[in-house]
Amino acid sequence: MRRFFRRRATAVLGGAAVVLAAACADFTTEAPLEGDVFDGPLPGLTPEELAAFVRGDEDFGRAFSPAEGLGPIFNNVSCASCHSGDGRGRVENALTRFSQAGSLVQHLGGPQLQDKAIPGAEAEVLPAGVDVSVRLPPPVFGVGLIEAISEAAILALADETDADGDGISGRPNWVTPPAFVPAMEPGGGSGPQLGRFSRKAQVSSLLQQTVEAYHQDIGITSDFLPIENQNPLAGSPTDAADRVADPEISQSTVRAVVHYIRTLAPPAPGADTPERMRGRALFVQLNCSGCHVPQLMTGPNPIAALARQPVTLYSDLLLHDMGDDLADNRPDGSANGREWRTAPLWGLRLMRQFLNGDAFLLHDGRARTIEEAILLHGGEAQAARDGFAALGPGERTAVLDFVGSR
Amino acid sequence: MRSIALLAGAALLLVPALKGQDTTQAAPERPFVTGGVYDKPYLTRLLGRTALGGYAEAHARLERADGATEEFGFEAKRWNIFASTQVSDFVRIAAEVEFEDGAEEIKLEFAAIDVSISRQLTLRAGMLLSPLGRFNLAHDSPQNEFTDRPLVSTELLGVALSEPGLGVLGLFPLGATGRITYELYAVNGFDDGLITDSPDGTRIPRGRGNFEDNNNSPAVVGRMAWSPRLGLEFGVSAHHGAYNVFESEGTPVDQKRMLTIWVFDAEVEAAGFRVMGEASTTSIDVPSGLRGIFASGQRGFYLEAVRDFGRGWVRTMPRSFFSAGGRIDVVDFDRDLDGDTIHRYTAGFNFRPTRDTVLKLNYFRGTVRDRFNNPTEEAGFLFSVATYF
Repeated sequence: MRRFFRRRATAVLGGAAVVLAAACADFTTEAPLEGDVFDGPLPGLTPEELAAFVRGDEDFGRAFSPAEGLGPIFNNVSCASCHSGDGRGRVENALTRFSQAGSLVQHLGGPQLQDKAIPGAEAEVLPAGVDVSVRLPPPVFGVGLIEAISEAAILALADETDADGDGISGRPNWVTPPAFVPAMEPGGGSGPQLGRFSRKAQVSSLLQQTVEAYHQDIGITSDFLPIENQNPLAGSPTDAADRVADPEISQSTVRAVVHYIRTLAPPAPGADTPERMRGRALFVQLNCSGCHVPQLMTGPNPIAALARQPVTLYSDLLLHDMGDDLADNRPDGSANGREWRTAPLWGLRLMRQFLNGDAFLLHDGRARTIEEAILLHGGEAQAARDGFAALGPGERTAVLDFVGSR
Repeated sequence: MRSIALLAGAALLLVPALKGQDTTQAAPERPFVTGGVYDKPYLTRLLGRTALGGYAEAHARLERADGATEEFGFEAKRWNIFASTQVSDFVRIAAEVEFEDGAEEIKLEFAAIDVSISRQLTLRAGMLLSPLGRFNLAHDSPQNEFTDRPLVSTELLGVALSEPGLGVLGLFPLGATGRITYELYAVNGFDDGLITDSPDGTRIPRGRGNFEDNNNSPAVVGRMAWSPRLGLEFGVSAHHGAYNVFESEGTPVDQKRMLTIWVFDAEVEAAGFRVMGEASTTSIDVPSGLRGIFASGQRGFYLEAVRDFGRGWVRTMPRSFFSAGGRIDVVDFDRDLDGDTIHRYTAGFNFRPTRDTVLKLNYFRGTVRDRFNNPTEEAGFLFSVATYF
């Protein structure tokens, strides 16, 4: 070395090499812990299932430009732009659903307000005299496990007439899936199917949810819904602005996204501390767990990672009357304007981390803390709500710590 | 028309300055833009009138984000060739053709004719390097101290930004060492690709390539720089014009939607350090149906400081020297959001066997935030070689 470099140069270069070697090991970022993300795959997927997961992840994250088919009317540009990190959205991303006396009023642009439009198209404006419901984008993780829970397990929790007299009368939302959902698809078929997804359990199939989200939220046509969504009240033909040939995405793209969300793992709950165990006991004692059922089991499933798995979602997936404060007075499927599907509590531990430090709870994101959300419960949850309100400060804290650690 | 009128006005203002000036081409003591179009180390001169040269650049990159490898490989990044000809005492032409990423992209980056009336007034026409920040005017890799160009330049402004256009440039001496330079052009401007072809929200570079004016409404771009002495310069640039098609065969189809970009740049050489920086702010008139998703305002800056050392430390290369420095890059793609940002910190260590060749080793670390403000930590080691030829 000294033949080529002066002594000082050797020292500087040597020092730089040492720093570089050290840097290579420690300075190239670290992956977040498993269980601390909303977008990780289920454990136990096969290599083929993981490869499909990766492809679906890319499609889920793909944003569309107007030149790629976005719109003509839409709400956002990609799946990922509503579901933060694959979790819930913010109130700014909330969707406005509207109908009139149970009719989807497609002649008025229902059932969803598309308040964005590409150049040349006219965004929708909420028509007068309709029933309106603002809906926060729900978390996407864990939906495959929800889909895999056996129908019998959910129906076993139903108590439509409150036969056990506990004041809770959960009932299923039987819905008819659209014709494009084949019978062999979970939640598909010609007759009424058990609704499991969305705020009022008005969707029975992940395929339906995905196809309609592309169509309604992003304005992307697919092999399943190949005709553009239009603003029927616009002065000019809305779809003339979108010059991309329909369908804009193929069946395989939709299937890839369905596989992706189907195999997304829920995040891990927080550690059980003595405070949380006390909170858990109070949670059960107050009968919060009457609706927020801690665990259900999946049935047999072609994806081994989904088969016969415990699903710790804290929901019975049934409809409950939630009282006047939360009523949107807008029927959806067989759910009436006071009924909501029990919201799963999993993922609350990481909610703020993926919402820029904020919390948005309940169907429209109006509650900014878990405590506020609990206190807004009514109807079938009135007794549990009142029980929580009557707790001492320490007990309340324990319940909130437990719920917030799920 | 308004742009043409502006240019005509500027030319008229300059007429008094021309009075009594020697209109012969006098070689300026300092290049118009250090490292700019006519300040290249051309290696070959043909018959004394035409000069040929170019530069090449190759990268080795390891980039990781949140613990996952994003890129680990090699890039034949650029191979550019340039030529200039002094056609007569008053006329010269220069051109640069770029082959990027293994010729995946081939681009005529610059091809302009200069008709020089005086040092204060030169007419330039052709494919222009837009005077939008100093970096766009002098961005050759062998000159840059870091492997990657500043993010504000690449992500916000679309450097290298070339546009067909016509305009004037000139130089006014100030005292013994100072001067003011200006460039002012009417250009085709950006097109609506900055929105319609941009899935990630407003991205101005997506509106480049407007080689036939999409809306028959030229934009204006200009830069004025004040330099009290060599190694000290402050510049301000602006680009303003309509980007959308607002009229079709005489029928109004939309309102004129304006894009305005301001860039402030500075270069200071002091205490052995070279400090350079550029800050930009943009405003975009976004159609109402896209507001809230497509940004109507963006901003960003970079600031770098570099110091040379070790001249002659390598015994076999007496003209060689080292340099070390750092750079901060900040880009905010949407001023109305907390997120949609990039922050990056780069440390660099370079070795130059001669002034025109450089081996660069960079380490960068930064955070990319999505529109929800969710962070992705990124880091990378970059090694590159660049040389003029």
